Amino acid sequence: MAVALRFGSNFLKNNINYVQNICRITDSYTAQIQASRNFGTEVTVKAAPLAVKKQKVSQAMKAYLERARENDEFMKTQKLEYQIGKRHLANMMGEDPETFTQEDIDNAIEYLFPSGLFDKRARPLMKSPEEVFPARKAAEFDETGRPFHSMFYTGRPNFFKLLYDIVEEMNNLNDLEERMLRRGTRADPNQKVDFTGFQWLTKDQLEAILVEQINDLEYTNFTNAMDRLVSLPFSYKSRDFINKFAKPLLDQTKQLEIPKPQFDAEGRQFVTTYECLRKTARGDVTVRLPGTGKITINGQDITYFEELQSREQVLFPLIFAEMLGKVDIEANVEGGGPSGQAGAIRWGIAMSLRSFVDQEMVESMRLAGLLQRDYRRRERKKYGQEGARRKYTWKKR
Amino acid sequence: MLARHSLKLPRLTNMCASFCTATAEAAAEPLYNRPKLAPTDYRTGETNTDLHSKVHEAKFYTIAPEIKKQLFSGGGLPRQYEQQVKTFTETCLMVRPAGLELINYIRNTDFKRPAIRYVLYGDNGVGKTLIMAHALHYGLQNNFVLVHVPWVPNWMKRPKETANAAQEGFIDLPFDAAAWLVHFKTQNTNLLTKLQLKTSKDYVWSKREATPAGSTLLELVEHGIARIKFASETIAALLSELKQHASEDKCKVMVAIDGFNAFFHPETRVFGDHKQRITPDRITLTQPFLDITNYNWTNGVCILTVDKIGMTEGFMESYMPRYLLGKEGFEHLDPFVPVRVDNYSDKEFASCVQYYLDRNWIQKTPEGFDEQLKYLSNKNPYTLMQLTRSL
Amino acid sequence: MLRSLCSRLVPHSLVCAFTRGMSAYPPHYIEAIFSKKKQLNLKETDEYIKLSHMPIKAAKNDESESIFYNELVNKMVNYITKGGNKKLARELLTKSFECMKRVQIERMNLNPDAKDTIIADPEQLLIKAIENSRPLLQLTAIKRGGVKYQVPIPVTEKRSYFLAMKWILEAAREKERKVHLPEKLAWEVLDAAYNQGRVVKKKNDLHRQCEANRAYAHYRWS
Repeated sequence: MAVALRFGSNFLKNNINYVQNICRITDSYTAQIQASRNFGTEVTVKAAPLAVKKQKVSQAMKAYLERARENDEFMKTQKLEYQIGKRHLANMMGEDPETFTQEDIDNAIEYLFPSGLFDKRARPLMKSPEEVFPARKAAEFDETGRPFHSMFYTGRPNFFKLLYDIVEEMNNLNDLEERMLRRGTRADPNQKVDFTGFQWLTKDQLEAILVEQINDLEYTNFTNAMDRLVSLPFSYKSRDFINKFAKPLLDQTKQLEIPKPQFDAEGRQFVTTYECLRKTARGDVTVRLPGTGKITINGQDITYFEELQSREQVLFPLIFAEMLGKVDIEANVEGGGPSGQAGAIRWGIAMSLRSFVDQEMVESMRLAGLLQRDYRRRERKKYGQEGARRKYTWKKR
Repeated sequence: MLARHSLKLPRLTNMCASFCTATAEAAAEPLYNRPKLAPTDYRTGETNTDLHSKVHEAKFYTIAPEIKKQLFSGGGLPRQYEQQVKTFTETCLMVRPAGLELINYIRNTDFKRPAIRYVLYGDNGVGKTLIMAHALHYGLQNNFVLVHVPWVPNWMKRPKETANAAQEGFIDLPFDAAAWLVHFKTQNTNLLTKLQLKTSKDYVWSKREATPAGSTLLELVEHGIARIKFASETIAALLSELKQHASEDKCKVMVAIDGFNAFFHPETRVFGDHKQRITPDRITLTQPFLDITNYNWTNGVCILTVDKIGMTEGFMESYMPRYLLGKEGFEHLDPFVPVRVDNYSDKEFASCVQYYLDRNWIQKTPEGFDEQLKYLSNKNPYTLMQLTRSL
Repeated sequence: MLRSLCSRLVPHSLVCAFTRGMSAYPPHYIEAIFSKKKQLNLKETDEYIKLSHMPIKAAKNDESESIFYNELVNKMVNYITKGGNKKLARELLTKSFECMKRVQIERMNLNPDAKDTIIADPEQLLIKAIENSRPLLQLTAIKRGGVKYQVPIPVTEKRSYFLAMKWILEAAREKERKVHLPEKLAWEVLDAAYNQGRVVKKKNDLHRQCEANRAYAHYRWS
């Protein structure tokens, strides 16, 4: 026992940084390991079953325990305050405290404390303490200094455990495959998991889950491993495990809503796109459906643009969607130069044409880059350089 | 031999792959089957302008090379058009509604009445000069004496040489005047020798030189060419003689002036004595042409063009005659018959494109190219010509 | 790392081969495919489905489906551009094309029998000229033992196109000052298209040099 303690204190003396790094509380991951649900803030130091007797704990250990306990209590008080505050707020707003959801809280705060700050994160907010305070790991080792996790000494136990899990899954699948082969059955191709619409969790998200810092190289290893897992023929058996780390990519085309055409005085359908921006040009475009291909820009013909390139740009969406002679276009544009104005009108026409064209063509237009707002702006000139990127000529002396 | 060094084939990146495909595609592109017009749809063999009518609208007719040389060797056709003529090895003009309208008016004029002024106006590149050329051809074929000024702003903006005129405070443009006389001569030699018009009074140029009354106009013209110093005065004399002869019913006169609004521009680029800019009315050449466009004579027609290009920056807001001529010019020309020249119609556009294809001017014919050309050029003849340069 | 992710899921051709040092777009955006033909080609392969989940950059200013657009011609215009004046560059190239066309049509008129063999399409001529003047090998200075040897190494396709266009432009800019660039360029391109002229000579000289320095080829790996 004394040896264990000395070992423990030696360990502490020698590895002060570990001790100083302790304060991180996990939520779900270690819960999985320890099969207990979200023991978040409670830093109950599980002593090893043998070391029940009271032992002299070193100062560093004491401090660590003290800190852990403080954090624990702090979180408890915060939670309590949050609950009370929530009920007060509900009363203030005249709502029922029992059914006051987080969304209601957000709306209430926005109403009571209107803020014009641009950064959403700088505005007043009221959320549960788990979201506000960053997650920390629970105690990683007990009073005697013995770590709970078997891979504690790698420095990133959660991450490496994850990798081991992947390998284990792969081994399981391989064994399954062998057994199936012996039986003569093959993997069912219909059940094969389709991962075209999925993306692995980003590095930041993975870090958030594991509550550990990850290297770029390690992240690449993780992605490679998951890809290999997915490529196995029986991967659909481990679908649950894989889905934990796969994030569905949003289907881009279905993101933006296509406006419905309105009817004007002559009974023609038309769609107006306002706020067509490109560089410094501002404009709005109206497209009318049963038309003759007439193009009016600021009251003038397409001759408003003298340059051939600008005219090509204006006609590009029409040519692409094959609506050249079928629609009429009226555009008003101001600001910027010919190129910017042409780009603004092009975007406006493309966005308006979506309402008159079928879904496949809309997808084609998106792939052609017609529906994407061009956010590029002129880059500013920096001091010490001649332009935005160009440096002054380097002279040796 | 080089291949023996196992060259590691470079990886095809995006652009190279697409370059290869671009070249391959360009080589193997099938000819787009657009509805081909038969030659009679865009050409006509009718070279007699008298017989041009609505049937021949939107069709090209050829002008024989000798006639072209006679009519236009001193100018009269736009520079780009001349190049085109050289490449296509033929001079083809399109019969357009504005041209037909003009020729109709001329055909039905009552020559007993004072001369009518027709003013062609329209946006840049719409075809005013070529319609005037069409009318000139008509004039030639119907025995009009042609008084044709190819492009007035040339005199105002790029004078070859200036000299002080005999009259006080006036500026002469000797070389330009002489050049114009040569041009006049080439155009009208045949007619003048046939008609044998004689001068009505004596013209004294200096102490030793004089042209007696009774000499033919051709002699007058030649004298002007020979003695450049008196060329401007010769022009004045010539034009007044012509007016007189026309009023006496001896000949028909057609006055065709391109860029007439340059005579009324607030200033020119001609420099006077003390390096001052001069207004057009201080140039000797202006006076005779302003004189002949008056309506105090019979048996003649005046065809004038007003063009935005003839003005300098700051005066190019609109292409309307009232704006371009200013108050003076408008009052001078009032009353006149305005003839508006527009962009091509669909039919004319199609026939123009067909003509270009026929002459191998348009080499590439991808799908839907004529529609694209139509909208890109807005059916403007000049823009169409510019666009098809690189096709 | 997202790029490697993307490159797995998305056709290699669409991810930029060079690092995105200068883009206002986040790294996972792909280049726009504005040509209808290319889109049709992609539809036949499997990659089209993957693309529906990828965000795409906006199409550039000079790219469109117009009849005048050709990738090589566009590149040529970019190389002629000076001081950002692309409008002027395009005008110059158009005039140059016009010159070429006129010369070729004249030739066609002079010998009507050879009408089929004479190409008058200026774009075709330019493409042919570039193809004819593309080098296969180039020389690099490699230092071994204190001496710099001129070693022949293969040229990537991209670079070969670039070199061809650069040489044509250089040759065109070299001549007399009175004659303007469009005409000079037209003559250079015509010459190169017929495998004559300075540019092709330069390429052949380079090839001969490489052939001569064959012995040093192993210095590449030393």
